[in-house]
Amino acid sequence: MKLNGAQIVVEQLIKHGVTTVFGYPGGAVLPLYDELYKNGGSIHHVLTAHEQGAAHAADGYARASGKTGVVIATSGPGATNLVTGIANAHLDSVPLVAITGNVTVPLLGRDSFQEVDIVGITQPIVKHNFIVRDAKALEQTLNEAFYIAGSGRPGPVLVDIPKSVQSDVCEYTRERGFFEEKEKPNIHPDDIKKILSALKTGKKPYIYAGGGVIASGAEAELRELSTRLSAPVGLSMMGLTAIPDDYALNLGMTGMHGKYAASVAKSESDVLIVLGARFSDRATGNVEEYRADKTIIHIDIDRAEIGKNIHPHIEVCADVKEALTKLLAELPVMQNDEWLKRIDELKNEEHVSSNDEFNPKNIIEMTERICGGDTIIATDVGQHQMWVVQHYKFKKPRTLLTSGGLGAMGFGLGAAIGGCMANDSKRTVLFTGDGSFGMNLTELSTAVSQELPIIIIILNNGVLGLPRQWQAAFFGERYSCSTLNRKTDFAALAKAFGADGYKAEDLSQLEKILLNLQDKTPTVIDCAIGMDEKVFPMIPPGGSIRDIIVKE
Amino acid sequence: MSDSAEKFTVELLVSNHYGVLNRITGLYARRGFNIDSLHVNETENPQRSRMLISSKGDKYIQTQMVRQLSKLHDVKSVVLMTQSTV
Ligand SMILES: Cc1ncc(C[n+]2csc(CCOP(=O)(O)OP(=O)(O)O)c2C)c(N)n1
Ligand SMILES: [Mg+2]
Repeated sequence: MKLNGAQIVVEQLIKHGVTTVFGYPGGAVLPLYDELYKNGGSIHHVLTAHEQGAAHAADGYARASGKTGVVIATSGPGATNLVTGIANAHLDSVPLVAITGNVTVPLLGRDSFQEVDIVGITQPIVKHNFIVRDAKALEQTLNEAFYIAGSGRPGPVLVDIPKSVQSDVCEYTRERGFFEEKEKPNIHPDDIKKILSALKTGKKPYIYAGGGVIASGAEAELRELSTRLSAPVGLSMMGLTAIPDDYALNLGMTGMHGKYAASVAKSESDVLIVLGARFSDRATGNVEEYRADKTIIHIDIDRAEIGKNIHPHIEVCADVKEALTKLLAELPVMQNDEWLKRIDELKNEEHVSSNDEFNPKNIIEMTERICGGDTIIATDVGQHQMWVVQHYKFKKPRTLLTSGGLGAMGFGLGAAIGGCMANDSKRTVLFTGDGSFGMNLTELSTAVSQELPIIIIILNNGVLGLPRQWQAAFFGERYSCSTLNRKTDFAALAKAFGADGYKAEDLSQLEKILLNLQDKTPTVIDCAIGMDEKVFPMIPPGGSIRDIIVKE
Repeated sequence: MSDSAEKFTVELLVSNHYGVLNRITGLYARRGFNIDSLHVNETENPQRSRMLISSKGDKYIQTQMVRQLSKLHDVKSVVLMTQSTV
């Protein structure tokens, strides 16, 4: 059948199961938007306020659903506005297809109006990217794009489509275009033998699990492995929802701001089983710590991550779920009461404060109690993010949307919109900071237009809290440019956008607001907290467990 | 670079397409590795080029480069050649 390029794009989106896309129109994508207009019944296009918001929304949609997110932007400024969103998806291994328009093929390379080389710009932050100069290549390119984004270690793929290619007509086959798929790695029987023998020798096994567990859907296998080995589980931030909070051996997040027990147990362990994690510097600290007396087993789908930061004794390049399934088939129960007792001790040593102050922990815990365990939680970046990942009791995989690798302030609201839409527009919570919210709060307009019941809790400390904490710890309390001195009335601002807005000054006010929310309206709750609340524990950069600071 | 740095060469089979060289040299640049020599030829199959890239680095760098290069969509195969393998 003969179709123009824009029709091919839409047909391909439908073929790849896309029902929701996020984006923003402009001159170079008008042919595509014309087709989206005609196909509104099959594909819901969400118009955001800024392309960055659209990229984060597509990312949040992908994280929450496990499907590949799709974002569309015009050439030039539309395309450059996607860059942070693409980098964010890249560092957190989120499957994303970004479609950009470009100037017509004859105008390419001449610094034409709104022309940028977006393929060149995004090259280091994508899994792969394409510019399609011929409509005949479009069908296969889009097949490849979806395949690359979603397979192996997922990631973003950008497809740049000049305007003329969108209107050129060619044959559309609807068949799967031929392309070579990369070989799928798998665990070898010898690896299983080596792992079994390491586990038999070890007395203190510890599992460090990352986002790869969620990407491969290996949550049940992870739990089974932990139970059989009496091995506690410490999670990277990306791995946080892989195992429910109430599972006895889940010690929570490890790393710079990880839990005390998670860090100490990792340090005391003698066999470290690393699943779908990449030893990022923030999660790892002092690399010497890992060379000492530990046998390290690293299982990851991305071979380049194995040995990149920490050299393992046993390396397995494989899908975590497939590898664990094969390992579990041969793994006996290795009950280890002494180690379990030690883990219990460590859990009891965890520093907990309980009072009824209006502090981050209490605000987060109250929200969790009222909103329940299935709610999707998004965060921005800063202290508030650390408090959420420390204190929120996650129960279900894919319920946390947070910018891990890039740490991009401004991620949260777009992500919450995408996550909410991936979850049938059910209630969704965003915990943000007064700084981060300022970056992309314009997406409130999107949440309003889409009638999304997103609760936006601003942990408003009046400062850029995380830089301030570092300035207090490492720069002699010289608070250079981290005090906001803004007079923003967030409740009034919310109302100006057509959302609901409140101010809460204590827990009972917050409770009342949370119990009386509207169904189809986003709600901003401005929670005033102290500017000197700190995130603890903290292991300073490059530090080891001996350097852990648990409280002020 | 560590003391055990030695000369190593990777032989790559890649798609014969504009922009591919950029993606490959970009990986070297990102980790701060100098390329000492670079050869590119179209192969017997016009869809493929063969590249030979020589550089210096220890075992860690050699392994990382091979693994990072293998990840690129346009790279079809990677062979590492060092003093001990040639
Ligand atoms: C886009 C971006 N710019 C700068 C930073 C550096 N940074 C990290 S946290 C932070 C402050 C965040 O402030 P806020 O959102 O109020 O959160 P708080 O730490 O106060 O909870 C800054 C500036 C960043 N992570 N992202
Ligand atoms: Mg703040």
